[in-house]
Order: sequence, then structure tokens, then C-alpha cells
Amino acid sequence: MATSPYTIHTLKNGLLIAIEKMPDVRSAAAGFLARTGARDETPDLAGVSHFLEHMCFKGTGKRDWREVAITFDRLGSTYNAFTSEDRTFYFGWVPHERINDQIELLADMMRPALPPDEFDTEKKVILEEIAMSKDSIDHVAFDFLLERVYEGHSLAWPILGYTETVGALTRDQMNAYMNEHYAPDRMVLVVAGNVDPPRIIDLAERLCGSWKRSGGMHARVAPTTRTGSATQVVDRFQQQLVALTFAAPCATDPLHESAEAAMSILGGSNSRFYWNIVQAGISPHANSFRFDMGDCGLTILSGQAEPDRIEPLLEAMKREAAAISRDKVSADEVERVKNKRRTSLAVEAESPYHRLTQIMDDVDYRGAPRTVDERLAAVDAVTRDSIATFFEKYPIDREGYLISVGPRDWPA
Amino acid sequence: MEKVTHKTLACGIELACAEIPDRRIAAIEFRLCSGIADEPPALLGLAHVVQETIDLGTAHYDGRGLSDAFDAIGASHTGWTARESTGYRCVVLPEFLDRAIELHTEYLCTPTFPDDSVEVAIELAQQEITALQDDPQGLCDKLFSAQVFGPLLGRHALGEPETLERITRDDVAAHWKNHYHTGRMIVTAAGGFDAKKLIDLLEKRFAGFGSAAPAGRNGYRVAFEPRQTHHPKDLAQEHVAIAFPGVSVEDASFPVQRVLIAILSGGMSSRLFTEVREKQGLVYWVAAWSETPRGSGVLFLGASTTPERCDKTFDTLLREVDRVSEDLTDDEVERSISGLVAKMRTQGDLTRSRCSELADDLFHHRRPIPPEEKIARIEAVTTERIRQFLADHPRDRLNVLTLGPRVLERAAAVGR
Repeated sequence: MATSPYTIHTLKNGLLIAIEKMPDVRSAAAGFLARTGARDETPDLAGVSHFLEHMCFKGTGKRDWREVAITFDRLGSTYNAFTSEDRTFYFGWVPHERINDQIELLADMMRPALPPDEFDTEKKVILEEIAMSKDSIDHVAFDFLLERVYEGHSLAWPILGYTETVGALTRDQMNAYMNEHYAPDRMVLVVAGNVDPPRIIDLAERLCGSWKRSGGMHARVAPTTRTGSATQVVDRFQQQLVALTFAAPCATDPLHESAEAAMSILGGSNSRFYWNIVQAGISPHANSFRFDMGDCGLTILSGQAEPDRIEPLLEAMKREAAAISRDKVSADEVERVKNKRRTSLAVEAESPYHRLTQIMDDVDYRGAPRTVDERLAAVDAVTRDSIATFFEKYPIDREGYLISVGPRDWPA
Repeated sequence: MEKVTHKTLACGIELACAEIPDRRIAAIEFRLCSGIADEPPALLGLAHVVQETIDLGTAHYDGRGLSDAFDAIGASHTGWTARESTGYRCVVLPEFLDRAIELHTEYLCTPTFPDDSVEVAIELAQQEITALQDDPQGLCDKLFSAQVFGPLLGRHALGEPETLERITRDDVAAHWKNHYHTGRMIVTAAGGFDAKKLIDLLEKRFAGFGSAAPAGRNGYRVAFEPRQTHHPKDLAQEHVAIAFPGVSVEDASFPVQRVLIAILSGGMSSRLFTEVREKQGLVYWVAAWSETPRGSGVLFLGASTTPERCDKTFDTLLREVDRVSEDLTDDEVERSISGLVAKMRTQGDLTRSRCSELADDLFHHRRPIPPEEKIARIEAVTTERIRQFLADHPRDRLNVLTLGPRVLERAAAVGR
């Protein structure tokens, strides 16, 4: 029987550690997951999760922001962080012999000092980021989509927050949010690469063992997916973007892989959208994808065209959605999706950097990482029938939520 | 450990491949030494239309059939059109490499360019040009590339609306015939395969594919000219782009230029990130980079900021370049070198990166450069060499573009 590549350990204070040993590579990656994001904010604090992510780079009890930056760069780390609706993740990828130093730095950052001067300066950077997002039609449209589909729920506000809420945010408010959400029993340390797991656990105990636990995860309320339509007129855009949205299985639903395969067949590469919309000359931009979390999910069919050509694009998207719902996908279509998935898993398996994100995802939503073989088995379990079941339970051939963004006030 | 083979095959292809036995994937790249700069001036966009349509009909497949055949082996493949080259790259499980090469041969050597596919590709390119208006960064790149690199290398892959209108199916077929042949082909591969088998297969598949005489191996010269333009546009942010002369990949000083860029923009401790973003909070995005057609090099600085702060951002960007020669420290240089070397080593874990690196080596140096040789060149950069580089390449001739609602007030800074 093959030995598991994973080591899972929980410190006494609740910090979960997940390690994948990859003996064939020369690098290693590490990341801290804070299981909190925009959906865990209150309305007046919209944007605090993302702002806090920035502030974790701006100084700790033992390093000022410059020392944080210099340490990352001296390690030669490929590093970053991101904030989503339900997560904040900080990570770095280094030659394997530097992984201990990388983990030490990341652990230090998880206890930021939030220096008041830096707080004020970084606020300006966030406001620039918000301004930048307003020039992107994709960004504007996605924020508008969630605002409408999840209206009344915390998933409705943007990850970056609003100019007003970020502008009014105080350091004390951020500090209180951090103390509540960055407790070890709400965090995960993920490591992948050519590493020695017992040594990583010892290191984590030394670095994080004194962190004070809280009362565990907050309960989250799943949103209701609304139907309807809405238009946001933005004169400065030249193109019109439409997105049709429907309720879909969450990330842990047994139909998850079938939903992924269905989206690939409908609107991925070499898909029905590609041949019947793009190669029909209707629009260069038509795709379908999933947006999912632990307790909810969306199917999104999206397209972009010049404003006076948006009707045929939307009709074509609806036509393809109806056809794939009415007639089962073919066995060849299913097989092709599986083959592509096998290659992408092999590509992922050689990169600690990419494995890190997958392990984080598995641990957060499923409680444990899945081996490549386990994930392949899930892919292999997808059939024509399972995809048909997905479309029966989560139909896309009826009213969903239609959003339209661009210079044209359409549909009225 | 990898074993690298480099040879010009009898069929005319220049091959470099790295056998890395423990890899569970194989990557292969076909790079034609012909790109946007090789298009007839009246038919801009032609090279991209060829790349977009070449696999939409062949001797044995229609477009969908060929895509299905690639999917049947789980191939992840892509194509692109660049200034001086056109590339096609594929990643597969090693057991499917032979089949992947067979399919690449099919479309590279026997495309039929169906009329309707060409018409659609031209139509889509027209729509993509319109869509660029909603992508400020992409639009800024297009405008600035034309301004800095001029009428040949400054062309955009999508072409122009009026030149796209003129392109016919016959133009597409003629461009393929003139520019797709083994004498212009660089092929590189990396991963789990046998080099001898790979060579035999390429010889067999590409024998007689056009002229085997080497072609397209020399670059076009860039005549750098100082200039400043403003492109008014209703945006929330102003985009500021600055260029000045640098050195080419082939130049002995190129490693010095790489370290200099790392000092300016290599990470969060870099000067631009530190001064423009972290200390002054002027921007979210700021960067320095180089663009290096064969035989030329240009250094770029870029940032986007709210319009009322664009002059201050502009001044700070230039001030930071000047300051490097004034107060550069050994520690800063050492840190940048350490960072570059570490990234080169971590990237070495990625098979597809190794494959593309080999293609870049052949394209620029006409031989594979061992990774350790590249690392040694980076490690040989010193503080003094960087100071000398800045003295030899002063930023006294600037090319500047702004895109957004506000005209830059610092016009006098250009060309000083």
C-alpha cells in the first residue's frame, strides 16, 4: 500500500497543519490560511479583510514593513497574498532549503502590528486599487453580479470594499476584526515540497504555539440565489457585458466534479460556446464557469460584445444552455474533459506552488487534502448521467439572474 | 539531472531538448522565426490571423476534429503571435508526445485555411480591437509599443481595423507558405522522453516542409527617439508609461540590466514599490521591466494612479532611477541577485518553463545556455557594474505616454 504523502497535525491551540512531502522537487512552498473574508464582515467594515491582508505586510512586533519586504526578497521567494469572499491566504515559494525561514516570516506576519502611520498610507493604496477596479469591465460586472444575486447577504459587497467604508475604517476596528478572525483555531498552515514534516511541525509549534485560540469558526449563513435582471449603465465602457447566473452546487457537493465538467463542455476551450459562438463570429468572449464556496455556488454564463451586438450573443448563450440541458452531453465530450483534467493534474503535481493552493482548498472545504489519485478518481466518476443529474438539479435553461453592464441601457 | 541535446536536423529544424527522466509530463514548443514585424505594411494583423486559423482545417481534419484529437490525448496547447516570432506550445503526458507531434505536424504543414474560418478570425480581431478600449493597461501597451518601437516592431498583433479589412484567404495562405518552413523553425522540448526518438520523429514528420535554409534569425534594429504624448480617455486612473534605452539579451551587460530591474521592481523591497507605493501610497500598481527584441533593449517604467497624483508619480518614478546611481548599496545588490537566482532555481521545477527557456536561448543566443551559466553571470554582477551601466545608459532621452483624463504637466522633463 502506498504511503500517504500527507502529514496532518493540529497544535494544542487549534492551528491545523497540512504538509505534502514532494521528494522529487527542489523547491517548497508554504502558506497561512485565515478562514475569513469579505462575507465575514459587517456592512460598515466592508473591505476590512482585504485591507488587513495588505497590513500584514506592513510590520510586525519584530520587523517593520521594510524588513518584511527585504526578508521575502532575500529568500528569493515568489510570494503574494489574496483575499476572497471567504478566505485570506498568504504564501511564498522558495528553494527547499529556505522553507523554514519562509514559514518563520509568514508566521510573524500573521501577528501584524498595524502601525498607525502605515495604516493611513496603505489606505491610499487601497483607494487606488478601488479606482483601478472601476476601469475594468470584468471587475465592475462581477461586483454588480454578486451585489444583485446575493442582495441582502454579506456576499453582496465587494472584496475591496467601498471608497466610503475603507475611507472611514479605523485602526481600532481593524485590530478588533483581526483579533477575532486570526485566531489559530481559525487558521491553517499549509506546506508542500521537498520538506521534512516532523521538523515543520516542530517549527510551527515554536512559532505559533503561543497564539491564543478563540471559540472556533463562526457559523456562516448560506445565501439565497435570487432571480431577476439588472443593468448598470457605464458610459465610458465601449463594450457591453452580459452574465446569466444560476444556483449551482457548492464546492463539497457530490455533483461538484460533474458541474465542473459541464462548464468545461459548455464554455471552456474546445467547447460548445467556442464553436457555436466564438467561431460563429458572434463574439470573441463567451464562456461559462463556476463560482463556489463551502455552502453555495453559482453557474455563470458570460459574454462580451459591442453594444449593438449584445442581443444575438445573449440569444446564442441561451440557445446553447437550452441544448445542453435538453440533450445529454456525448460520451466523447465527457472523455475529452477527463483527459484534459489528467494532464492538468500531472502539471500541478510537479509544482509545490500550485499544490499549495489545492491542499488549502481541500483542507478548508473538505477537512483533508486529496491525493492526485483521489482527485483523478473523482474525475473518473463523472459520466453523461451525472452531468444530466447536475442539469436536472441545477437547471440553466430557465430564469436565472441576468446582469448587463456597459454603455447601453439594455435590457430596459 | 537533465541531459540537453542541441542540433540542427537534416530537415532544417533547429532543436534543443532537455531529457529529464523523472518528470511525469513532456512539453514541446514550435517557434517560427517570423512574427508581426514580418507582415506586409498594408496587411497588419495577418500573422495573427494565420496563427488563429492554421488549425481550423487541415488535410485530414476540420477544426473541431483536430481540437478533439488534441483533447483525446489530454493535450494542453496554446499559440501566440509576437514581434519576431510565432509560437505553438503543448504539454502532455509523456506517452502522448509522439501523437502530439503528429497533430502539430498536421496543422503546421497542411493547413487549408477555410474561407469562413478566415472571415471569422478577421471579424473577431476587429471586435478584440474594440474590446481593447475597455482594457486600459492593454490599450496603454498598444499605444506605447507603437510609440517606442516604431512602424515595424511597434505593431500590435491584432493589426488595425483598416488593414484587417484588406486581408483575404489568399493573403493568409501566402503568408503561411512564405513564413512557415523548417529553416525558420526552432523546436524545443523538456521532460520525460527519449531525445533520439524525438529527433527521428521530427525528421520523419517535417522532411521536405519548405526551405531548410536558415531564415528569420536576425532581428530588426530599434531606433529609439525621445517623445511625449497624451491620449485623453475617461478613466478613473491615469496610466503613466516611461521608456529609455537599455541593452539586448545578447549584450554582455544584460545580466546587469536584469539586476537593475530587480533593484527597481523585483519585489516588495524594490525601490519603486517602496518609494512610490509603500512610502507615498501613490499607486496600487507600479513596475519596471525590459522589452528585448533581438539585438535591442528598452527599459520601461509604468504606474497607474488617480489623475491628480500623476505628476507626483511621474517625478517619483524618474527620481528613483536617478537615485540608484547615487546611493546603491552592496546589500541591495546582493539581495536582488539572491532573489533572481532563487527564482531561477524554483522555476526549474516546472517542465514547461524549462522548455520555453530553451526556445528563448536558441532565439537569442543560437545555443542552449546551461542554467548554471546564467546563474553565474547574474552572480558576477556588482554594485560598481550597475553604476557603470547607468553611466553608460543615462536616462537622458525619454519616451513618455499618458492615458487618462489629465495631461502631464512635466513635459519639460522629457529629453532633458
